[in-house]
Amino acid sequence: MKRRVVLVDDHHLFRAGVIAEIGAAVDVVGEADTVADAVPLIRELDPDVVLLDVHLPDGGGDAIINAVAPDRPGVRFLALSVSDAAEDVIAVIRAGARGYVTKTISGEELTSAIERVAEGDAVFSPRLAGFALDAFRDGERVGGDAELDELTPREREVLQLIARGYMYKEIAARLNLSVKTVESHVSNVLRKLQLSSRHELTRWATQHRLV
Amino acid sequence: MALRSFARSSDDRVVAGVCAGIAQTLGVDPTLIRLIFAILALAGGAGVLLYLALWAYSDSRSIWVVAILGLFGISAVLHALGLNDRVVIGIALVAGGLTLIWRRGGTFARNAPLSALGVTLAAAGAVLVLSRGGVDQSVLAPGAVAGSLLLIAGPWLWRLAVDRDAERTARIRGEERDEVAARVHDSVLQTLALIQRHASEPRKVAAYARRQERELRGWLYGDRAPDDSDSLSSLLAAAAADVEELHGVRVELASSGDCPADESVAALALAAREAMTNSAKYSGADLVDVYSEVNDDRVSVFVRDRGVGFDPTAVTADRRGISDSIVGRMQRAGGTTTVTSAPGEGTEVELGMSRSAS
Repeated sequence: MKRRVVLVDDHHLFRAGVIAEIGAAVDVVGEADTVADAVPLIRELDPDVVLLDVHLPDGGGDAIINAVAPDRPGVRFLALSVSDAAEDVIAVIRAGARGYVTKTISGEELTSAIERVAEGDAVFSPRLAGFALDAFRDGERVGGDAELDELTPREREVLQLIARGYMYKEIAARLNLSVKTVESHVSNVLRKLQLSSRHELTRWATQHRLV
Repeated sequence: MALRSFARSSDDRVVAGVCAGIAQTLGVDPTLIRLIFAILALAGGAGVLLYLALWAYSDSRSIWVVAILGLFGISAVLHALGLNDRVVIGIALVAGGLTLIWRRGGTFARNAPLSALGVTLAAAGAVLVLSRGGVDQSVLAPGAVAGSLLLIAGPWLWRLAVDRDAERTARIRGEERDEVAARVHDSVLQTLALIQRHASEPRKVAAYARRQERELRGWLYGDRAPDDSDSLSSLLAAAAADVEELHGVRVELASSGDCPADESVAALALAAREAMTNSAKYSGADLVDVYSEVNDDRVSVFVRDRGVGFDPTAVTADRRGISDSIVGRMQRAGGTTTVTSAPGEGTEVELGMSRSAS
């Protein structure tokens, strides 16, 4: 069965372009261009995945996640943005998005990212991997839960390879792991990004008044 | 809050519905207004006169009837407040004069003719009011004249200033619009024209679109990134932009950490640019991934494509790109180059140098 997808982006042309590219592989059941429109629409349609712009005219993508996630826990969010700023992306991730891809992504890559997010996996673009490495850089710990505040060497390795443009199966081959293990490392990093109280992450989130 | 225009109430009336009309306009209880008029009526009949004035006004009678009734009404109020005749007449003259000025000019627009009669009336009134104290006429009279002139010219000057501000705002807006129009014309429209002409060549179209996007982005958000100049990541971004434009590939940039660009970092960025160019030209892949990582002790840049790859041991001498521009440049800058490639498996160039060397 095709995944049911809602697309939230304030650029009509961009939405049309995305639908043209992924419309055959997924079922785009709704579109919205503002936070105010998106929240009731997502509640009503209860889609598998919401593709979410980081910036909207009336708020951030994180506002939508915060409004919808509590009563629609099955809906998965994937941030799709041209934003270059780490704090914007981290804010959406911390609100609960399962991943972040840049808008230059190809239709094929986007379709597979939607599929992965729908299955509960995390989707890291190279850029998000770079942000995550930055966030968990050495020497910026502020106590809290040590497990959440550190990346394991393996997670770091996986992230570096993602940042270098490797696909999961290439990473698996290179590190002698199974693809499933690579996926679980990435999911762990996502969980740490969302739950860690690390200074960098908290600072980024505070800038967006999430904390 | 915009007041509704005043009209007598036709359904709620004691005499002519004037009080109810005012109450409706102001959104208050009619009884309150009636009470005020009743009290004013005790003040030398002022309430009655004002009531008549408003009645006349609401019936669109001659403005003179309204003005005279109103003036007498207000005079009566002022009398009742204990002001002497002179002040009352003075105030009445000023009010009458200002009314004339307003009516003749319509507005205080810059070119509106000033009513000489209005000015005279207002000036005379102001002299009367301000010289009332009788302390020292010779001192007060010039002050009174100045005050009256201020009364007359003040609103006019104020209006002038407002007009000028509005004009300036409009001019700035116009200039901004011109600038945007010029920018849109020089870049966006040109790009759209190019895209139409090369519609059958997707690579070119994509390159045009990306260049345009970058330009617009730089223009729109450029001033928000003051630290953008001369860091490793900005040099790599510029290199990626050039390669995208020249070769119609997509270059995806990721980074962790950044550092200011000194000579060896600049050399590193140039080597990276060369590696991107090689990937774009020879690999056949339409995507090049570039990742830069800066630690306390090391700078690394990875340039990777998923193209045809090659056998690094069998590179011919005419492929000078790798040996000179990349390996040689890195060696001179005290860094290292590692090329990982195999036919059919893409290529990754790893450039690294220790930060103590840089």
